[in-house]
Amino acid sequence: MEKDLAAAASLTDVSKRLGGKPVLDRLSLSVRAGEVTALLGPNGAGKSTTVGLLIGRLRPDAGEVELYGLKPERPAARARLGVMLQAAGLPDVMTVAEMVTLQSGYYRDPRPLRETLALVGLDNLADRRCGTLSGGQARRVQYALAICGRPELLVLDEPTAAMDRASARALWSTVRGAAADGAAVLMTTHDLAEADALADRVVVMDAGRIVADDTPAAIRARAGGAVVRCRSTVSTMHAAALPGVRQATSDGAELRLVSTDAIATVRRLLDADACLADLRVHDAALEDAIAGLLSRDERIAA
Amino acid sequence: MTDLVLPTGVWRRECAAELKRSWRLPQFLVPTVLTPAAFYGLFTLAIAQNRSPATAVATLAGYGVFAAIGPALFGFGAGVAMEREQGLIELKRVSPLPTGAYVAAKLTAAVAATGAALALIYLLAIVGGAVLSPAQWLLLVALHLASTVPFALIGLGLGLRMSGKGAVAAANALFLGSAVLGGLWIPSAMLPGWMRAVGEAVPSYHLGQLALEIVGMPVIGSGQVHGTVAIGMTALAAIWAWTGWRRSPA
Repeated sequence: MEKDLAAAASLTDVSKRLGGKPVLDRLSLSVRAGEVTALLGPNGAGKSTTVGLLIGRLRPDAGEVELYGLKPERPAARARLGVMLQAAGLPDVMTVAEMVTLQSGYYRDPRPLRETLALVGLDNLADRRCGTLSGGQARRVQYALAICGRPELLVLDEPTAAMDRASARALWSTVRGAAADGAAVLMTTHDLAEADALADRVVVMDAGRIVADDTPAAIRARAGGAVVRCRSTVSTMHAAALPGVRQATSDGAELRLVSTDAIATVRRLLDADACLADLRVHDAALEDAIAGLLSRDERIAA
Repeated sequence: MTDLVLPTGVWRRECAAELKRSWRLPQFLVPTVLTPAAFYGLFTLAIAQNRSPATAVATLAGYGVFAAIGPALFGFGAGVAMEREQGLIELKRVSPLPTGAYVAAKLTAAVAATGAALALIYLLAIVGGAVLSPAQWLLLVALHLASTVPFALIGLGLGLRMSGKGAVAAANALFLGSAVLGGLWIPSAMLPGWMRAVGEAVPSYHLGQLALEIVGMPVIGSGQVHGTVAIGMTALAAIWAWTGWRRSPA
């Protein structure tokens, strides 16, 4: 695979085994400046390993990882990197302000302390010891540590996990702000609404490979555009064979179809079941698109 | 090499933060500072059969080395393992913080704790009648503080390889083993032959002998050899710590 020279960070043909099992298989991915890239996929898809390689916590077995043309473990590469890790802790006895000040001091042109705290909504907690913070507050401190140095590359591993909705939205707006200022942002998330709201680009991983890499809108479109819901006696097996249907599921009461041609699907559905009720048709969400991408082999799920 | 100008004062700020953190953890600091002085006071001043300025000085040499081992092994070994489990090191490792600054900060905290423990022991020694020349005091302080380094590196290597609980157990075993086998509590000359033989393999033995030489007490072997061996062991400990750092995922 050709290297993307404009990339802030890139993995080229990277393979990685952990504990004897292959986790990544010749994966190539680049993250570009000014762009928010969301990495999606089920647990075990290799998202965290990809992040670990990118920030230099892990080293690839094969292939190449570069940040601004440097190995990620090089100090000059790290000086341009801000990271929010999933499992990172904070020392209980240090205050929020002390931690942010210390971290800011690692960078050459950090934000002033007050600005960082205000951005993350920690103004009122500056003098609190980290050991006394709630889970969501601690996550906000981790985010503050990631952005305090005005990094050119911001890597966020499940940034809004454990955050309440308001904090998450505040974080989204600062992530957008960072990208607007030219930062390259890579984030992993389980929250599809988050990816949809925030990302310029969605990369879907499954079993160590990339199965889709596109804008959220384009990925949504791949799902076929529409979701058809109804109460019907038609089986999922039968429904899956209808024209346009890419995915058919049922929760017992309701039949749910993802279709590329909603009109044809609905017409045949009505032919098949005259007593069909509660028919609704709406746009496919990113979730449907991704479910479709991940379950191509088992499109009929009961 | 792409030029990287580190912000000024990174090392200093990291050390200051680590000192502050230790200071706020009295449950760690107080026992490591008090234990060596309590042992020294008990064994040499309170229950010694032949109390004399000479015993006060002779035992001071060994207990000073002992005072350095605790903060080094526990602060670094067990401390680093627990910090690793709490995910405190992970962010440091991916930050633009030089590895050296991280290690220096930990070492500074260990040396500071050692310094406090030494101050207490020296005070007790003076009360017990120990008399040394200013030059001897200076050399002794330097040696005792420097004793922190090999044990801190051994501890770091442990802490990077073991779980928190495992590291505490290993640090305890090493702590007591180094003290006894190194002849810091009971002079090596009085130990059974096999213990003395094993003692040759621990840095505390060589550091203890060097300390005895400084205070003008009889030494087994030559000071030069002990010095060389101590430096060699410190270099090995550095390699052990460095390889641990390289292979630990976080």
